Amino acid sequence: MGTLSIGVFSSLVGSMNLDFAIRLAQTAINKGHTVNLWLSGNATTLSKDKQKEFKDYSHLDKILRDLMGKGLSVVSCEACNQSRGIQKEDLIGGINRASMDLYLANSAQSDRVLHIGVE
Amino acid sequence: MGELKNKIMFVVQRPPYKSEDPKLALTHALSSGVTSIHIDEEIVPTVAFIGDGVLNCIKDQKSMEAYGITSNERHIKNMLATDTKTLVCKEDIERLGIKEDRLIDASDMGAEMTIKVVPFNEILKEMEANDHLMFF
Amino acid sequence: MRLALFYSDLRGIESIYNRITAHELGVFLVSNGIYHAVLKENGKPSPILDKKDATFYILKEDLETRGFSDNEVDKRVKVIAYDDLVDLIMDKYEKLAWL
Repeated sequence: MGTLSIGVFSSLVGSMNLDFAIRLAQTAINKGHTVNLWLSGNATTLSKDKQKEFKDYSHLDKILRDLMGKGLSVVSCEACNQSRGIQKEDLIGGINRASMDLYLANSAQSDRVLHIGVE
Repeated sequence: MGELKNKIMFVVQRPPYKSEDPKLALTHALSSGVTSIHIDEEIVPTVAFIGDGVLNCIKDQKSMEAYGITSNERHIKNMLATDTKTLVCKEDIERLGIKEDRLIDASDMGAEMTIKVVPFNEILKEMEANDHLMFF
Repeated sequence: MRLALFYSDLRGIESIYNRITAHELGVFLVSNGIYHAVLKENGKPSPILDKKDATFYILKEDLETRGFSDNEVDKRVKVIAYDDLVDLIMDKYEKLAWL
């Protein structure tokens, strides 16, 4: 089994890239791989707690919590969060805040890295 | 699997300012220097500008004056000052009519490293030589 | 280099895509990239599929999300699910790039 690091930069609402990343992470974890998820730029919107579910918008809160319970490591960019008014206490429990050097360190120690930029 | 990787290539494919991507590519590359607080291995970054991403390399950017935000030029100069290998695609600057004297340099910061103009083929070879690729 | 290239859009990334080569190249049509496997713009299949020595894959979920089905996919492209995608990127290809 290997380690996959996924970096995502697209917004939760307005792009399907996070949906793709989460489905990929889910499948990899179910196959026994270790997955790290880095949220940067507008993708940090995924890290915010208390998101209301609407059928017209991507909603990944439940699946994200489920995957974290199965070992998914999620780190959200601290500066990207703060610049968007998302404080530490606003995050979904279990999501860590850090700067990008942690993403690079995790990537360096991963077998595969999939870096998904903005659209 | 499990082998330690330490060469990461940041490939910038979008023009500056409309998208946050190019700036994030540069700040991520710059942070390679502080990863030693997490892991023992050194991360060696290479940054390549391709396609319309080469437009990030034009000097005299005034985003601080216009919008109060650090320019991509400032980040590129910091990269050069910290000896980050920085490549720009020759075919793309020629296609867009950009002369080499319009490209950023950091000699005023004492940097010896300069942006290297190389054919796309050289960038492909660099991709091959790196452990991981990050396209921004 | 064993490279997995994620082709995620209908337009705007061709010029970089056309120049990327690898000893072993897998092109994964995902997101709006799936249209290259099903549309025939002006009666012609997408030139994206003409890339030499590449193996093409299309993500079934992204195909069906956009109203297409397996039987409309160009014969040069293999339809895969997330399960196959994980196996391919973890076992077959060593580097991944998202366009």
